Formats: sequence, C-alpha cells, structure tokens
Amino acid sequence: MSAVKIGIMSFAHLHAYSYADCLTRMEEVKFVGIADDNLERGRKAAEQFGIALFPNYHALLDAVDAVIITAENARHVDLTIAAAEAGKHVLCEKPLATTIRDAQAMIDACKTHKVSLMTAFPCRFSPAMVKLKEHVDAGDIGNVLAIKGTNRGKCPGGWFVDLEKSGGGAVIDHTVHVVDLMRWLLRSEPAEVYAEISNLMHHAAYDDVGLLTITFDNGVFATLDTSWSRPESYPTWGDVTMDITGTNGMIFMDMFAQNIVQYSDETMRTQWSNWGSNIDYAMIADFVSSVANNVPVSVTGEDGLRALEVALAAYKSSEIGEPVKLPLEQ
Amino acid sequence: MQHVAIVGAGGMGGVHGRAYREMLNAQPVAVMDIRREVAEFVAKSLDAEAYTDFDRLLERKDIDVIDVCTPTPWHKEYVVRALRAGKHVITEKPMARTLEDCKEMIQEAEKAGVTFMVAHVLRFFPEFAKAKELIDAGAVGRPAVVRTTRGGRYPSAWSDWFGNFEWSGGVMLDLIIHDFDWLRWTFGEAERVFAKGLVDRRIEHTDYALVTIRFKSGVIAHVEGTWLNPTGFTVKFEVAGDRGLIEFSNKTSAPLIVAQTKTDEEKPGVPIPESPTLKNPYFQELQHFIDCIETGTKPMITPEDGMRAVEIALAAIESANTGKPVSLPMTN
Repeated sequence: MSAVKIGIMSFAHLHAYSYADCLTRMEEVKFVGIADDNLERGRKAAEQFGIALFPNYHALLDAVDAVIITAENARHVDLTIAAAEAGKHVLCEKPLATTIRDAQAMIDACKTHKVSLMTAFPCRFSPAMVKLKEHVDAGDIGNVLAIKGTNRGKCPGGWFVDLEKSGGGAVIDHTVHVVDLMRWLLRSEPAEVYAEISNLMHHAAYDDVGLLTITFDNGVFATLDTSWSRPESYPTWGDVTMDITGTNGMIFMDMFAQNIVQYSDETMRTQWSNWGSNIDYAMIADFVSSVANNVPVSVTGEDGLRALEVALAAYKSSEIGEPVKLPLEQ
Repeated sequence: MQHVAIVGAGGMGGVHGRAYREMLNAQPVAVMDIRREVAEFVAKSLDAEAYTDFDRLLERKDIDVIDVCTPTPWHKEYVVRALRAGKHVITEKPMARTLEDCKEMIQEAEKAGVTFMVAHVLRFFPEFAKAKELIDAGAVGRPAVVRTTRGGRYPSAWSDWFGNFEWSGGVMLDLIIHDFDWLRWTFGEAERVFAKGLVDRRIEHTDYALVTIRFKSGVIAHVEGTWLNPTGFTVKFEVAGDRGLIEFSNKTSAPLIVAQTKTDEEKPGVPIPESPTLKNPYFQELQHFIDCIETGTKPMITPEDGMRAVEIALAAIESANTGKPVSLPMTN
C-alpha cells in the first residue's frame, strides 16, 4: 500500500502545529507540504517542519490525496469545498463551521464529489474516553441519568476573538468537543439547550463564559461549562471533564489528568506536564487509515454539524432567555 | 446562661446538643422528640430532661431558647409556637418547605421581638468563610464563574423523610440550600435560576440536580447536588474571576485520611478524609446565636436570608418541573 499523501491548508489554528508534528512521524503518510494564505506564517511553518510550501491552496490540492484544514472557523467552508471539488478527502478542524448552512454545504460538497469529511474531534480517541465508554456500554454504572461536563481554558486571543472569523468566543470554541462526546456516549441527540453566556473575564465584545444545560432525546440531562476561565497563571491550558451519574454509580473523567506537577524557580510557576497519550496522533492515524482503506471516516461532518448546532442554540437561548429546541429552524 | 431545649432528636439534634454542652454561656436542659425512646436516649447523653409533648416543654419557665431540629415541614409550627411563648429560636435549614411558612415565621419573630436565626452552618465552615474573605479581598478580581459540588450517598433518617419529596424537597431544598445561602452571602442577590433534576422521575432513593444561577452582579454559578455519589461525602468549590481563581475540594484539602482494611461489615472501607478543627462549625454557629441573645445583637444570618435561600431552592424545583428559567424574587 502506498503512503497517503497529505497536506495542511492554513496554520491559522494552533492545532496545525500539533497535526504537522504528527504527520512528520507517521510512516504510512507522505507529508507533501502546506499552503497558507498568510505567506509569512506559511513560510515559517514550512521551515519549522522541513516541508514544502506551496504557492497557493490549488497547487497543494493537486499534489495530495487528502488535506487537513486548520483555517479560521469561518473559512472552513471555502477550503473544504475547494478540496472536495478537487476530489480530496478532508479532515477539518472544529468547530466544523460558523453556521449550519456552511456546515451543510461542506457535507453536501464532500458527498457530491465522493470524498470523506471528518471533523477533528480528537477527544473521541482519548484512551480515558474510550475506556469510559466501555464501562458505560457494559452497564457498569447502570443507566446514565446525568452528565456534568467542562471544557474550560484560557482565552486564545487573536482571530478566536474576531467574531467575523471565529463565529463566536468561548461557547463556539468549547461546546463542540464535549457535546460530541456526549452524543457518542449516549447514542442520543440533543433535544433542548439553555445557556447563560457573558463576557465577564476579559471585558470585551466576545463571549468568554458559558454555562449550557442540554437535554437529550433519551431524557438524560447535562451541563457544560465552556468558559475561558483559567487564569494565565493556571498550571495547564484547561480541561475536558465529565462526571457521569448513573442508576448504579458514577464515573469521573478528567481527560488530561495524566500529569507530572512541576515547580520551577526559573519561571516561578507551577506547571502540569502531561504524559498522557497523543490523541491528535490517534485521530490523524484513524483518518489516514480510512483514506488508505477507502472506508468511511469514524467521525463525520454530520457529527460536526450536530455539535455546532448546540453551540448556536446556546447563543440563541442566551439571547432570548429561554430554552431552545433542536434541530434549529433554518 | 441560656437554657436550651432541643426539638427533634435526630442526627442534627444530637450535634446541637453536644455543642451547647461545651459552651460557657449555654446549657441543654431539655430534649423533645415524638419518639419517647429517642428523646430519652439523647436527653440522657446531655444530662437533660426528655419530653414528647411540646406544650409541656413550653410550660417550663426556665427555658430561654428553643432549637428546632425536626424534619423541614414541622419547622414553622414549632418556631411559631416557641416565638409566641417568648422564647429565642433557632431553626435548622431549610427555614421551611414553603415561602408562605417562611413569611409567617418572619412576621411572628418581628412581633415577638426575640432573637431568631436560621442555622446556615456553612457560613461557619472555615473553608467557606475563608473563601468569602479571599473573594472580598479581591483574590480573584471580579468574580465571573462559580462552581460548587455537594453530596454523597443517600441519607437515612426517621421515616425515611428525605425520600419524601413533599417533606424534604430533595437535594435542591435540603442539600444545596447550603450553597445557595453561601452564594447569596458572597455574590449578592440571584436574578434567575435554571435547573434540571430527577424530581419528576420519582426513582426511589435517587436524587441529583444541576442548577444554574445568574446573579444580579452578572456572576454565573453552577451548583451540583447529589445523593448518588458512592465515593463518600464530597464538597468542592471553584471561583474564577478576571484576575484569578480559587478552588477547594474536601477530598484533597484534608489533613487526615482513614482507610480501614476491613470494616464492621467485613468489607474493605472507602478511605474517609477527615478535616478536624479546634472548634467545629456547629459549635461556632450556635455560639454566635447564643452570644447574640446575651448581647442583644442581630445574628449575621437574618430570617430574610433564610427565606431567600429557600426561594432559590424553590425556584430551582419549579424550573426543573416546568423546563423554564425562573426569575427572582418569586415574592416581595
């Protein structure tokens, strides 16, 4: 089997650097190169990873089997459609898009051109999450009644707080990962969303705190804290947690708890150094394998759309002060 | 010296009785319970007299203070009768099962002109008092997102009254009212409440709730209450603000952990964290109440505070029932 030829479109999202690092270490991959509409950023990234910088996205698309898209959220749609029209498979950074219409257009384009569209939800590949799902599926805590989730972090700044490019602040950034995990775990769709959303940390126009309550079709209720509420001095970037209450017990998951605590006189800070598995690597390996074997991807564009829809419903709920039913009316 | 009669000799009645025993300016002299043997057992342990009849208790002129530790629905009856008899009164939380009962108690206390306090003991737990002190001193800057967790296994009690929702109000009224009072004390008045719980499922010995509160100050609070946590009683809080964050967990902030190889049931025991302090919070709370009586000062917890905490809990229950956010105040 020949190596899958992959390129990266745009280094706007910081995850591009982690994905590029993974690609350079995969034997089953030929990391062909990158393209970036920000030429300076592209030049530096190409230099950092020792790979080719293509002059534009179309030149890159001509040279690959598949692409990873790590542009600003609002630009996912154009790049994904371009890739689909060129007949290339797509692994797209989350959130899939900033509107349902864009997300649907991406799904439709990939379907029309018979290429795969995978949403980058690496948390599904976390060994802790996989094990958690095994426990729940085995009935170890009985029937799930409720889930208390968090995906908190620090404000990333840059285009993440430029609403034209990001589509929203903390809520669109941090709703989708855990909602995807909840849907996957419960095998049920979100039916209703209530949210309290504000900017209370950074005193600016974007949202930086969000507290969602989500009710699923099967009656399970969940809350999700999406806030960029970790101070700069916090020992790590943030967290992904789920405390699951069942009829016969509980499971507590703190996905990134595999840390060594580091006290440094150099930085005068305490830091948590994570020694857990590289879930980005596992996710990309899964994408590459599906491309190589010509089988459907495990996390779809539809999954990305459903998670996005919860974030958009949360904004709507916060605006009208009432719970919002899903699916959203277009 | 204040002579105290304890009404309701369940778990909390015993705790209060032992606290008064340690005080220099108070003494438990009577214990009343509708169960004679329970009243006698607790009274004996406190060198006090046992009663099963409240009227007979009130006939004793030497009693200054009535401490009501009955299940929630009976608070009002005993509080009002004690106030009318001119006694100083303290009642366990929650103040009452309904806002109407709370209002009636407040009116009666005003008429009686005695000292009346609702026992929101969390304000005397050093970790919660310290957290408020830090927040007031600006440790987190402007508070933004607050998260609290409270709960453990299902509580057992007389007549399984916690399991009777009409009596106890479940975790939202009985358990996380502690956090509601602390949040109000620390962050001011609540504006609206949204909650989900298991109230409508009516699964026996099962209750769990997730409550979101928006405060007038803008602060958003998330409150978890559980009677389904098998890892032992858990208390956590976190306050994130625009300049910092504080967090606490009783699982890690404990100077002692006791883990038995075998328990009485010949089963491995759950490790139990212990956090001893020189004076326990119940003692501090009741000492404050007794000192207020003796010095004629107002208790730090007003009857209005007791009612507002009940109001948040009832709003949460209503929200869980209707699926809608509930605006506060529900009453003026």
